[in-house]
Amino acid sequence: MINMFKKYSLRTKLVSLYTALLILSVILVSYHSYWNIWQLLINNKASHLRARAKPIIEHWLIEQGLTDPDSIKFNFHNALALAHDLTSRDAAAVVLNRKGEVIANGKRLLEEPVAPSPNVQYFRKAISGVNEITYLKEVNGERILVFLIPIRPQPGSRKIFGVIQISTSLSDINNILFLHASRQITAMGIILILGILFGYWLIGISLNELHKLSITCQEIAKGNLGRRINIKNRKDEIGKLAESFNLMIDKLENLFSSQKRFVANAAHELLTPLTGLRGSLEVLLRGAQDDPEAVNRLSKGMFKEVSHLIQVCDRLLGLSHLENTSNISKSHIILSEFIEEFKRKAKYLTQTHSIIIQKGPFLVLMADPALLEQILFNLLSNSIRYSPPEAPIILGWELIPDYVEIRVTDQGEGMDSKTLTHVFEPFYRGKNQKSRDEKGTGLGLALVKSMVEAHGGFIGIKSTHGKGSTVFFALPL
Amino acid sequence: MDHKINILIIEDDPVITEFLQTGLKYEGYEVSVSNTGKDGMDIMQQNIYDLVILDIMLPDIEGFDVCRNFRSYGSDVPVLMLTVRKEVSDRVKGLDSGADDYLTKPFSFDELLARIRALLRRSGKIHENEEIQSGKIVLDNKTREVRVSGKLIDLTPTEFAMMKLFMCSPGRVFTRETLLNRVLGYNYDGGTNIIDVHISHLRRKLGKMNTSLIRTVHGVGYSFYPEEL
Repeated sequence: MINMFKKYSLRTKLVSLYTALLILSVILVSYHSYWNIWQLLINNKASHLRARAKPIIEHWLIEQGLTDPDSIKFNFHNALALAHDLTSRDAAAVVLNRKGEVIANGKRLLEEPVAPSPNVQYFRKAISGVNEITYLKEVNGERILVFLIPIRPQPGSRKIFGVIQISTSLSDINNILFLHASRQITAMGIILILGILFGYWLIGISLNELHKLSITCQEIAKGNLGRRINIKNRKDEIGKLAESFNLMIDKLENLFSSQKRFVANAAHELLTPLTGLRGSLEVLLRGAQDDPEAVNRLSKGMFKEVSHLIQVCDRLLGLSHLENTSNISKSHIILSEFIEEFKRKAKYLTQTHSIIIQKGPFLVLMADPALLEQILFNLLSNSIRYSPPEAPIILGWELIPDYVEIRVTDQGEGMDSKTLTHVFEPFYRGKNQKSRDEKGTGLGLALVKSMVEAHGGFIGIKSTHGKGSTVFFALPL
Repeated sequence: MDHKINILIIEDDPVITEFLQTGLKYEGYEVSVSNTGKDGMDIMQQNIYDLVILDIMLPDIEGFDVCRNFRSYGSDVPVLMLTVRKEVSDRVKGLDSGADDYLTKPFSFDELLARIRALLRRSGKIHENEEIQSGKIVLDNKTREVRVSGKLIDLTPTEFAMMKLFMCSPGRVFTRETLLNRVLGYNYDGGTNIIDVHISHLRRKLGKMNTSLIRTVHGVGYSFYPEEL
């Protein structure tokens, strides 16, 4: 059943559920109101007839001198008179004696209704003193309302002469109810149709956006990542879904395009040295090999290219190696000592730039010393590459909540905002890149970022174009 | 050739520049180099070049813009673009910016030379002779025939290639290794003795009167030395 239901669209399911609920509630309401009206009309009719009968019976008791409980004047004749008095065109009255036999029937005219035969059970109740007995009886397919009135000399007296049975046809009530029911059915029908149509429309509108969403998804699946769902001013669940969906696709698109850039950049980074290598070899083979001077120059160039290729491959391997955090081995590092030691080693790296240490608080952190040294080394060589000679490079650290933040600040050329956003991407080089003479692999900062993240830290960069940059990275304590 | 062909290379990669310069000089071209787009544009305005080899990824200005700059002041110098990017859209962009040809890195140097020759031919800078004549010897590039004093001699393709190489660079001394590479290709891995065999065949076919045309340079290799030199 549930499986069968799955193959229908959400709209069909919602509309059928909605329709079923609507029909059920309409039926319940109609039935309830029909029943109430029926009860009301019957009670009304019964009390009306009783009210009419009461003075007639009282009058008759006085007239016949039957007000005395011991009177023995109750007989066939005066019973007949009573029956006649009580019978009218819409009510038939008969009088029963204490044995339950009909001793008088009020019907005289043809148009007066026929009284049904008495029900023994109800009669016994009435003769034993129960006053308000009203019941329905079916005669020839027509429902008749019957009520029994015990004949007492005085109201409240225990003496009962006999029982009056008054019956009346319910055809007028039936007519009223039929009319009511038909009107109600018409009204309910209209409500149902309007309700279903409105619901169908409303559900359709809600699901329309979902439909759009699924079409957009399909287009995106075909590779058109630029597509977005255009649902505005919707604050409901579907609006939120569309919003999160767009956000997700934004992220994916960014990811894909950076992946694409990575591959394109990697190809460029590998093909350029290969071009140099191939060309140099070809020129040598074509005859430049006969000239020792040309051989020397071309070989040096090729050696440079091969070294560069090895460096690129090394760093690429480093990047993928760092993706597995189990590859780092942490130990306790006293930061101030470590930085002093690093400064001593770094002196061999540059004669032109001075390194200044801005001491932060004394602290011990858990990190991989080899990686930390490599991070600092990479940042330092970047700073050296992009800042003029004699410009100092400042190394410092400070405590921030849960982390230690280490900074490398230079007074170099800085970078523009576009470069800043991509600077940690592998192979990314800013517009104002230096020529390939002083080239790096374009992987330095990407590698630094991976190394910092492998420690569970984060990295950032602040830069003012023309004034210098500060790279700061935080490692957990 | 009444004057040497001048080629300007605008390329920032030092190794690529180096081999282009060396290789093209060996082919007899005059070569100038500039490492940036701006420098290239300045040099272009001061000098006349027969051909420009232009890299797209320059450190300062994109090669496309450099090319547009040439065209903007009416220069019709043939431009051969070099790039790593293979996409059709990049080629279209390159050709639309005014380039005459487009070569993707890494390229074969032979192909580069062929494209340079084609561009120079198209722009009328060189008229590749169908016949090369040197003294009594006439070499027909089209029919691949060599005649000595009007008499046809029968050469194998290798011998023809060697003869052509000699006649294109009269006086130049070729080592056995270079001859091997140029005539038999870079993939031939036999010894250089085969060159001596080919030389002796060639000398015999040229006739007894002409054996001195191909001289042996002892300890180095061979050179072609026509009588008029």
